[in-house]
Amino acid sequence: MSVVNFIIENILTQASVTIALIAMLGLILQKKSTGQVISGSLKTMLGFMVLSAGSSIIVGSLVYFGHIFTEGFHMQGIIPSIEAINGQAMNELGLGRDIALTFLAIFVFNIIIARFTKWKYIFLTGQAILWMATMTTVFGYFAGLRGVALILVGGFIGGVFAVAMPAIAQPFVRKITGMDDIALGHFCTVGYVFEAGVAKLVGGKGEKKKSVEDLKLPAQFEFLQDTYLSLMVVMTPLYIITAAFAGEKFASTLSGDTNYLMFAFLQSIQFVVGVYVLLAGVRLLLGEIVPAFRGIAMRLVPNAIPALDCPVLFPFSPNAVIVGFITTTIGSIIAMFVLPVFGLAMILPGMLTAFFAGGTAGIFGNLTGGIRGAIIGGVVHGFFITLLPALLVTTFNSMGFVNATATDVDTVTAALLYAWLIGPLLKAF
Amino acid sequence: MKKVNILFVCGAGLGSSFACQMSAEDVLSKLGVNAKLDHSDISSAVSVKPDIIITAQNFKSQFEKFSVDPKQTTIVYLRNIVSKTEIEEKITPVLREKGVLA
Repeated sequence: MSVVNFIIENILTQASVTIALIAMLGLILQKKSTGQVISGSLKTMLGFMVLSAGSSIIVGSLVYFGHIFTEGFHMQGIIPSIEAINGQAMNELGLGRDIALTFLAIFVFNIIIARFTKWKYIFLTGQAILWMATMTTVFGYFAGLRGVALILVGGFIGGVFAVAMPAIAQPFVRKITGMDDIALGHFCTVGYVFEAGVAKLVGGKGEKKKSVEDLKLPAQFEFLQDTYLSLMVVMTPLYIITAAFAGEKFASTLSGDTNYLMFAFLQSIQFVVGVYVLLAGVRLLLGEIVPAFRGIAMRLVPNAIPALDCPVLFPFSPNAVIVGFITTTIGSIIAMFVLPVFGLAMILPGMLTAFFAGGTAGIFGNLTGGIRGAIIGGVVHGFFITLLPALLVTTFNSMGFVNATATDVDTVTAALLYAWLIGPLLKAF
Repeated sequence: MKKVNILFVCGAGLGSSFACQMSAEDVLSKLGVNAKLDHSDISSAVSVKPDIIITAQNFKSQFEKFSVDPKQTTIVYLRNIVSKTEIEEKITPVLREKGVLA
């Protein structure tokens, strides 16, 4: 018994070990050589620990930002960052093991659903599944689910989303790419379809509908495609202006011997460092798991269509990506000022999601409504993807998350499902 | 036969570069080419100095601003980054040039 207890108490409670074991299972099922199995499992474990390290950097920077923001504007500013939510849930709340197992369960449910229904989508965007697993675990835990039930419910809901979202997006993706070989696997799909709908309503029709791709955009915007660079361009003024509002007297108490504005500048870069490290960890983490899963799934599901990350669509419509990014950012800035009027939290523009989700939404908007559709639809999309996470802030705060809320509207939708439906149902019985 | 170093690049170095890498892996094993594959973000890509960089068409103007030594690194731009046909078509002449494909 003591051996079993040791395994449960010391090995499976370590999330990094759990996830390494999942990778090991995938590699063994793939019949890889012993050397490959060992190196793959170790790399996965390394990835997880790098991810945790990145998360502590982000949290450190966010705590500082929270202080100066509260002082400067006398209200709480929330940074939407699914990476920060994931990091905090894994480390501070100790849900890492449950998230890792839910991650595996979503994979399994995805294969089962794709195998037995007519929707043959296999969701291969590993980080999106990780964020989905994070949200179902956090909100399932909050709704009162524990252990196996927590993992199975999360796996089922995540698995349904993993098939349903690519299926909803596919009519559009088919038109964008001109083929049916790939699908879109990115949990911001509700927002994309929303923008496509808005663009259809307000956009140019018939003769008047002009594609953004016929325009020549100024070359100065192209650097925005460099994710980390564009993140810095936005975070730096955000931190410095906030520090200026907080005032030298207050901000200096946090900055030690460094000048308070210089310190704010360094902290803003530190935030990007955290995101960079965290995503480098995710890259290591998924490097072994995703190909293993792909190999298994493609064998089990005949005619499977791989659902891939959103930038796969970017080369098909590069101008729409830039237009979508800018308009979504504008929409989320408008929402930042409007939402507090209605008693909701002030959500700062989340640049990672504004770029990836905004860019993809721009492609959808341009497809259904041309330039006019992409611009108006983009602004409305920005508002929409800020509104949904705002609804989660109270719950996140009561769970002890620091100044952060989730992004990726599909994961937020799943979370709302828990908060509004599953939670109350569980409490009723 | 010598091993060729190929780097796949996208904005964050996470999703689409990885998807592209997986597609290319199938193509390369079909061609029987022994290659070391990795993916990364555009900011760090230039410092890696691989034999071949494979990336999406929309990054072309940015790569043109970087100082990439064309003798050392050949850059391949794709419109559909997961299309095996396009990858094979564009990568075959490059592999010949690098002397890893007969």
